[in-house]
Amino acid sequence: MTWLKLVEGFMPMQMLFELTLCVGLFALMSYLLKKNGLAIPMFWQGVLFWLFIVLYLKYRIYPPIPFSVRAIYGTVALVAVFLWMSATEADWKKFKQPILNVMDAVTPFHKHLRTGYLVGIPLLLWGFAYSSLVPSQEEPIELRTVHPAPPASTKVHGKTFVLQTSSNPYRVNPEGKYDQEFTNSLIVEQSMGRLMKPTANPWDPKAEGYLKYVREGGEVFFQNCHFCHGDNLNGRGLHAFAFNPIPANFTDPGTIAQLQETFIFWRVAKGGIGLPRESFPWASVMPPWEQHLTTDEIWKVVLFEYWHTGYYPRTWD
Amino acid sequence: MGRVSRINRKKVWSAVALVAIVGLLLLPVLVSLPALAGGGAPEAAAPPPDAAKPPDAAAGKDGAPKVEKARDVFYKTEGIVSGAPAPKTADNTQFYPRYNFESRVLLWFANQQHLYYGSFVLAVPIFCMIIEFMGIVSKDKAMAKKYDQLAYDFIKISLTAYSLTAILGGILIFTFLTLYPAFFGYLSSIFRPVMHIYALLFVAESGTIYIYYYGWDKMKEGLLKWIHVSMSVVLNVIGTTLMMLANSWIGFMMSPAGVDEQGRYLGNIWHAIHTALWNPLNVHRILGNMAFGGGVVAAYAAYRFLSAKTEEERAHYDWMGYIAMAIGVAFLIPLPFAGYWLMREVYAYRQQMGITLMGGLLAWLFIIQATMIGILFLSSNYYLWQALGRMRGAEKYQRYIKYLVFVLVVGFLIFITPHTIVMTPAELKAMGGQQHPVLGNYGVMSAKNGGINVIITTTVLSFIWYQRGNKIPTVSWAKFGNIFMGCFFGLAYANIVWLAIYGYYIPANVRVGLSVPQVATTLSCLFFMTALNLVMLKGAKESGPIEWGKISVRSQYALIMLATAFTWMMGLMGYIRSSVRLFWHVNEIMRDNSPWAYTHTTGFAANMISFNVLFFWVTILFVFWLGTLGAKKVPVEAKVAVPGRAPQPVGGH
Repeated sequence: MTWLKLVEGFMPMQMLFELTLCVGLFALMSYLLKKNGLAIPMFWQGVLFWLFIVLYLKYRIYPPIPFSVRAIYGTVALVAVFLWMSATEADWKKFKQPILNVMDAVTPFHKHLRTGYLVGIPLLLWGFAYSSLVPSQEEPIELRTVHPAPPASTKVHGKTFVLQTSSNPYRVNPEGKYDQEFTNSLIVEQSMGRLMKPTANPWDPKAEGYLKYVREGGEVFFQNCHFCHGDNLNGRGLHAFAFNPIPANFTDPGTIAQLQETFIFWRVAKGGIGLPRESFPWASVMPPWEQHLTTDEIWKVVLFEYWHTGYYPRTWD
Repeated sequence: MGRVSRINRKKVWSAVALVAIVGLLLLPVLVSLPALAGGGAPEAAAPPPDAAKPPDAAAGKDGAPKVEKARDVFYKTEGIVSGAPAPKTADNTQFYPRYNFESRVLLWFANQQHLYYGSFVLAVPIFCMIIEFMGIVSKDKAMAKKYDQLAYDFIKISLTAYSLTAILGGILIFTFLTLYPAFFGYLSSIFRPVMHIYALLFVAESGTIYIYYYGWDKMKEGLLKWIHVSMSVVLNVIGTTLMMLANSWIGFMMSPAGVDEQGRYLGNIWHAIHTALWNPLNVHRILGNMAFGGGVVAAYAAYRFLSAKTEEERAHYDWMGYIAMAIGVAFLIPLPFAGYWLMREVYAYRQQMGITLMGGLLAWLFIIQATMIGILFLSSNYYLWQALGRMRGAEKYQRYIKYLVFVLVVGFLIFITPHTIVMTPAELKAMGGQQHPVLGNYGVMSAKNGGINVIITTTVLSFIWYQRGNKIPTVSWAKFGNIFMGCFFGLAYANIVWLAIYGYYIPANVRVGLSVPQVATTLSCLFFMTALNLVMLKGAKESGPIEWGKISVRSQYALIMLATAFTWMMGLMGYIRSSVRLFWHVNEIMRDNSPWAYTHTTGFAANMISFNVLFFWVTILFVFWLGTLGAKKVPVEAKVAVPGRAPQPVGGH
């Protein structure tokens, strides 16, 4: 349902809002129908609501949600329907009644239905069994660890960096001291819009200190990284779709926003080939950039990535 | 006259018995005091006889023994080397004697079963203490008797479990000694004094619990009753100390201290005990044990309810299940916060360990954990909703349950959305990246904190509805109170959701701090609203009695579900905590060179946990059955379900 836009920046809340709205509407409809003597039986209320959730997840949300997540959501929705239907004794009786009617074959129609189920359910199970056993052409699922645990330290150009204690030497205030507060204060908004204060433009030739390093990092980025990671750092560069999976999307709150700068430094320096064992099957072709960039350039490009996305690197108390 | 002196004699002997127990408790501590204060008594500090002598411990030039000093890996203080380095093991039968089976799995099984029973027997006496005390202070004689009977029922169940705990502890030690002798030898060389105190405390615990149980009838009145209840305090102090000592060993394995880089003991036993993770582990385990114990007792009550033959029995076990569930949930609510603190300390200790847990190798197990937590809360809420059914007049709340279901389930879904999604390469391609632009946002901590706080706040709301089920407030400000309460909850939800969204826009270290106002909001709902509700319900009009025993059968299955979920989750979290050491016996000090130093697949671990859970429940059913064998009569002495004067459980009904 791509015609109904999911607004960038508000998508997660939009989805929750839409669902809440729908539940409100259903409650209202149910109330009005009941008032006019057209109440929907409990059983069908439950079934229809569950179907609605399943269809909403399948067709409303885009890009498509992987099956594993839809299966989790669908199962939990089924549990929710059960909780709702069996919350009170009266509702539970009403919910069970159509099922019992079929099982007891209270009318000839129910008897036919029962026979239908007797044939249909085994057929359905057979179908499931068949489709799960039939050899598939599809590539198997890869349980890939996107953020592997980093080593305690990493050696780049002969120098050892302890990941827990090192810091970006270019995240500095005008006095040249490491200062997160100062650098964070130069970012005014976090989203894909304007990110810098009017007085804090890295491309101003007079910019000094932190801003100058951001500019230098940006130059490194656009000379080396943007072909894959994209102009907007969203992992959709010129060559991005030649890879599977596509390169990391830094604008996603689940990537660099969750990590320390030293983690990014380590990943950039060592590349796909330097991924630890737990990251099997190492589905990354990122070069080990230490072979092409200096240590300073790597730190600067990391600085630029945070500046551009508007995220703050993770720090510890 | 003779009777009076007999009673006095009894009092004196009871006091003597209590003093003797306390003395027995303190004796080992006194004996080991030099070890605690002086950085190790000579015998405790000496290296084990089979240990290699430290190279520099030889006599100096002038003939005086040369003292070698080294730096503590955690405290960074200097200490005198007083032990051998951690053994460097190799994959052979000298270090790892074995059967034709994976030793680690055998140890896992023995450990887990011991822990299940250990947690149970540590938790139940705490309940007994609370319930017995409530019985003593209760002014209503019938209620006092009921509470007393309930406490007795609890301790009766735990007594058989107590012997099983000891047996399983023995099996565990034998397993360690026979399959991991090098590792166990090293651990016991450091913790020798602690292990002795542990053993002596176990003796003290056994003595106390037997006197406490068998003396129940003899010490049922007056001062003797007070002595009896104070014995339960002693019992729990010993029990908790025992647990904390055992925690020091696992704390040492995860975040060693008190040794140098080679693992040589530096003579300060307090450093080895008080490691970076010891206190968070203690708090987390005490709360976890209580929640677990509540769950198991609730399952026992459910089992007895389902097999009850009479109305009286059903009423009693319905009530028992309710109290056990209430205690379990009371400790379940702060449990996520204690877990959060533990994780924070893990990150502070080693970032690598934290990422392995939450973002790397073991991250999927945390999604399973989140699912189990959700199941616990859903089951508790479901039970409370079912319990509304045994009150006349609760219909006014029942019709809104569906909205609570919606809010709970939305919180639950966000809480369990994985950050790393399982998908086929085709799905990955269709999604256009590793993270989903909509659901990816639910996969990070900020959203999850919001999710769990919404779940807990909704549970509080369900509980408040339950408290009000059959009551109509009559205080003059009832209307204002209701509006205030509604606004408070509304604002609480808004604040939690807002903070969850705001978390995306601020640095990570500030975001971590946001959990404080979120938790504060949830706890405010818990404490202030429950208190306000109780005040409002003072002198409230009853729209009907609570009909104990008239609860649906489904509610009892919810209790069994609750207990099973507790058990499963405990097994899971134990596995996660243990496997985060990866290939280390003692993190960064003693390497595991056995053939089983790899991390199990998630599927294998889940099967193993399920097997442990199944085994525990089969054996505990045996314990329950033994409990029924000893029952002489129906334990209900007070009449129940009498209209107008229903038994009042915890929480003021």
